[in-house]
Amino acid sequence: MAIEEDRAVKAAQDTVVRETDQGYRVLGSPEESVTHQHDTDRIPRRDITEEDIIDSADDPESWLTYGGNYEQHRCTTADVITPETVGDLELEYELHVGAESSMEGTPLVVPGDPPVMYQSNGPNHVKAIDTRAGDVLWSYTYAVPSDVVLCCDDNNRGVAVLGDKVYMTTLDSGVVALNRYTGEEEWYTSTADHESGYSATWAPVVYDGKVLTGSAGGEYGVRGFHVALDAETGDEVWRTMTSPDEEWVGDSIEQSCATNWMTATIDTENDRLYMPVGNPGPDFDGSVRPGPNRNSAGTLCLDLETGEREWFHQESPHDVWDYDSAAPRLLIPDFEMEHRDFEGDAVVSFGKTAWGYTLDADTGKLLNRSEPGVQQLNMFRMIPHIDEGRRMPFMPGAMGGNDWQPPAYNPELGLAYFKMNNSPQEAWWRFEEYEEGKKYWGGILEDEIDQPPEGYNDHISAVGAVDPETGQLVWRDWIDSDAYIWGGLVTTESGVVFGGTQNGDVIAWDGETGDRLWEYSTGDTAISGSPMSWYDSETEKQYVAIQVGGSGWLRRGTAGRDDRLCVFSLGA
Amino acid sequence: MTRQQITIDGRDELTDALGISRSDVGERPTLSELRRTVETETDPEFASMGEAIRDDMSGALDADLLASELAAFEEQIARLSEVRDAGIPEGAEEPEALYREIVQPAWRLYDHLVEAGFFESLEERLPRFTPEHIEQTAHELVRLDALSEELDGLGFDEREKTVLVMNVVNNNTRLARWVPTKEIPSDVEFDVEHVPPLHKRAMGGALLWVNSMDVHLWQKEVLVTEEILDDGYWDVKAMLAGVDLIARAALDVAEDGPMSDSQLVAALTGGAAIAIVNQEEICKDVYWITEEKRNPSPAR
Repeated sequence: MAIEEDRAVKAAQDTVVRETDQGYRVLGSPEESVTHQHDTDRIPRRDITEEDIIDSADDPESWLTYGGNYEQHRCTTADVITPETVGDLELEYELHVGAESSMEGTPLVVPGDPPVMYQSNGPNHVKAIDTRAGDVLWSYTYAVPSDVVLCCDDNNRGVAVLGDKVYMTTLDSGVVALNRYTGEEEWYTSTADHESGYSATWAPVVYDGKVLTGSAGGEYGVRGFHVALDAETGDEVWRTMTSPDEEWVGDSIEQSCATNWMTATIDTENDRLYMPVGNPGPDFDGSVRPGPNRNSAGTLCLDLETGEREWFHQESPHDVWDYDSAAPRLLIPDFEMEHRDFEGDAVVSFGKTAWGYTLDADTGKLLNRSEPGVQQLNMFRMIPHIDEGRRMPFMPGAMGGNDWQPPAYNPELGLAYFKMNNSPQEAWWRFEEYEEGKKYWGGILEDEIDQPPEGYNDHISAVGAVDPETGQLVWRDWIDSDAYIWGGLVTTESGVVFGGTQNGDVIAWDGETGDRLWEYSTGDTAISGSPMSWYDSETEKQYVAIQVGGSGWLRRGTAGRDDRLCVFSLGA
Repeated sequence: MTRQQITIDGRDELTDALGISRSDVGERPTLSELRRTVETETDPEFASMGEAIRDDMSGALDADLLASELAAFEEQIARLSEVRDAGIPEGAEEPEALYREIVQPAWRLYDHLVEAGFFESLEERLPRFTPEHIEQTAHELVRLDALSEELDGLGFDEREKTVLVMNVVNNNTRLARWVPTKEIPSDVEFDVEHVPPLHKRAMGGALLWVNSMDVHLWQKEVLVTEEILDDGYWDVKAMLAGVDLIARAALDVAEDGPMSDSQLVAALTGGAAIAIVNQEEICKDVYWITEEKRNPSPAR
C-alpha cells in the first residue's frame, strides 16, 4: 500500500505546528490516535530482552536504544565502514516518511529477518520499517491535544523497545506503549499535566522492567522530575523531583524548572542513572530564585532501583543564560586518568557552556574540564536588567555550546565527539508574572544582535573531538551557515564519525584527525536528526541512517522542513 | 561593582550618598569617622515602619531561641577564617561539612523567622530598595552604634566595616531591581504567590550560597585557586554579616531591645542589602569559574 493512503501519515500531515506568543502549538491533530497497518506479518516475532540491549553494545547488527548502548556511546562495532573504505559509501534509498515536521530523531534497528527499524518524528509519528526493502510495515500517530505548548517545535527524538513493545514519549507529557508487531496501543500514562506547561520530546530508555522518562517545560515555570514506569503496565514505580525543596528559597521551588529533557544514561553495573538537567526557572531573572539553584544545569545521578538522589554536578550555578546541560551523558567504565591518579568509571558531559566535563561516576567530583569546544566571550557575566539600557552579547548563546545534540564516544580512540553552536545572543532580565501554562522567562532573549562581541570569529558552529582524559581539544571542524547546527553524531569503532549539518550535508570525519573523508549533499534543507548505524549479515552491508529536515528553536534553527529518511550503505 | 578595598571613587560615592563633605573625612574613612560627620536627623517614615514591625511581630518571635542561636551563629562566624585556612573540604566520597557547619545556627534562625511570618510582615511594611531608601538606610546604619560593635564582634576590621556599608550604598541601583512582591507594577495584576518575600530571598539565598560552598569547592577542586578561596572568604563573611544583622534586628523586636524604630528598619534593610549585594559577588568570585580564572590543568 502506498504511503499516500496511510491514515496515520495523513493524520500527521494534517497536524500543523504554529508559532505563537506562548511558543509552538500543535493544531489539527486527530481526535484519537491512529494506527495504520501495512504488512505487520513481516516483523519477526522475537521479543527483545534487556540482555539483548546490553549485548547490543557489541552487536554490530543491533541499535536497540537511543544512544546505541546504555552508556550512550553512539558507537557501532560494525566494521565494514572504516576510514579507508568510507569513500565508497552510497545512498541505498530515501524514504519519505510523510510528515514534514520536526526531524530530530534517532531510529532504532531490531535485528532479524528482516531487520526492523522503528523511526519517529514530529508530531508523535512512529513507523516500523523493513530496513532491506524500505517498506513501511505499520505507522502510528498519537492524538496530541491542541492545548499543548512547546518551547521548541513538535520534536520527537526517538523511541525505546523492550519485549513486544515500543515506547514513545508524547508531546502532552506522557508515554505511550505500542505493540511492536502491530503498532496498536497497549497503554498510555500521563506523567504530568501538559496544561501546566509540561511536555515530552526525548526517547525514553527501558531497563530493569522500567520505562525511564523525564520532564520538559523549562520555559514555562514547571518543576522538573524523573519518573520510572512499569514497562508492562505503565504504572508509576517511583518519581524524583530534580530539585529538593531545601535547595531553594520558599515557594520558588514550584517554578524551579531544572527539567530532565533528554534521555538518561544507564549504569547497569552500579544500578545508577546519569541524567542531563536543564535551566532553572525563570530563565533570566535570578532575583526571584536566589542561591546557586543547585540541581539545575548539570548532571543528576539517581539510584535506579529507588530513584534516590546520589549526587549532582552543576555546570552553570545560578544560571541566567539558559545554559541547560541537556545532552545525554557518556558513561565510560574503567576509565584511567593518569595525571589525577584516577581509575574508575567516568561520566562525560557536554553542555551549553561549551566545556566537556569528566566526572567521577561514583561521586560526581570533577576530574577534568576540557578546553572549550567553541568561543566563550563575555561568558559568565551577569546579563543586564532591562532598565539599564545596556547591551551585552554573550557566547556561547542560549542554544550553547552543546544543547541537546547527543555526543559520541569511541572507546578505541578514547575520544568524545561533539556538535556545538558558536553564535552570540543577548538577554535582559526583568521581574515577570508567573501564570500557569504560560511562558515564564523572567526576561527577553534576543537572537539577532547588532554587534557581536569583540573577537567573534564569525563561524556559527563546529564539530569536534575532545580527549576526556587530558581535556585537550583534539580537532575541530567549523561549519559555516546562516542556520544553527542541530542533531547528534555516530561513530564507528573503526574510527569514522558521521553527522548531518544545517546545510543539508552528511559528512564522515576521520575520528582521529577530523579530516573530512566523505560528504553527501541531501539538498538545501537542514539535517536535524542524529545518525545511527547497523550491519545486516544477510545483505553483508553496513548501513548509516539519518533523518533529513529542519527543526527546532529560533529563526535559524528551522532552516526548512523535509521528511526524508536517508539510508546509506557499503558492502563488505 | 563591589570592592574589598576603599577606593577614592567608592569613598566619594559613599560620602555623596551620606550628604557629607569629602574634606570632612579621610581617604579611607572608618565608620566612626562617618558617624561623627553624618546628620543626626531621623527619617520619620523609618520610625513609623519600625514601630509597625514591632507591633506586628513582638509577640510572635521567640526571644530565647533567637538569642541562643544568634550567639551560636556568631561563634561559628568567628571560625570562618579557620574554614578558609582549611581550603578545599576533604572527603573521599563526599565533602566534609565546613561551610555547612558555619551556617547551621543561621538555618535555625531562618526557620524560626519563616515559621513566625517575619518575612511576610517585613514585605508588608517595608518599601522596595529605591536608591533613596538605601541612602536613608545607610544614614541610619552609620549612626547605629551597635552596628560597629556587632561587626567588631564578627571579626570585621575598620576597613571591612566601611566596605560593607560602602558596597550597599554604591549598589543602590542594582539593589532596586530586587523587587519585593508588593511593589510590582500597579497596572498589572500579578500573581506573586510563588515569589518569596524580599528579605526571605536575601537571608535564605545567602545561606544557600554558603551551604553549597562545601560541595562546590570539593567537586571543582581541580579548578579552584587560592584567589578564588580568598575572594570567597570575603563574600561569605559579608553575607553572613548581613544575615546576622537581620537576625539581630529580629531579636531586638522579640525582646524590645535598644534599637530605635528607625534603626531597626535600617538594620533589616541594611542586612538584606548586604546579603544581596554579596550574593551577586560570590557568583562572580567563586562559582562562575571561567578559563581565565581556573587553576591550569596539568594535562594541557
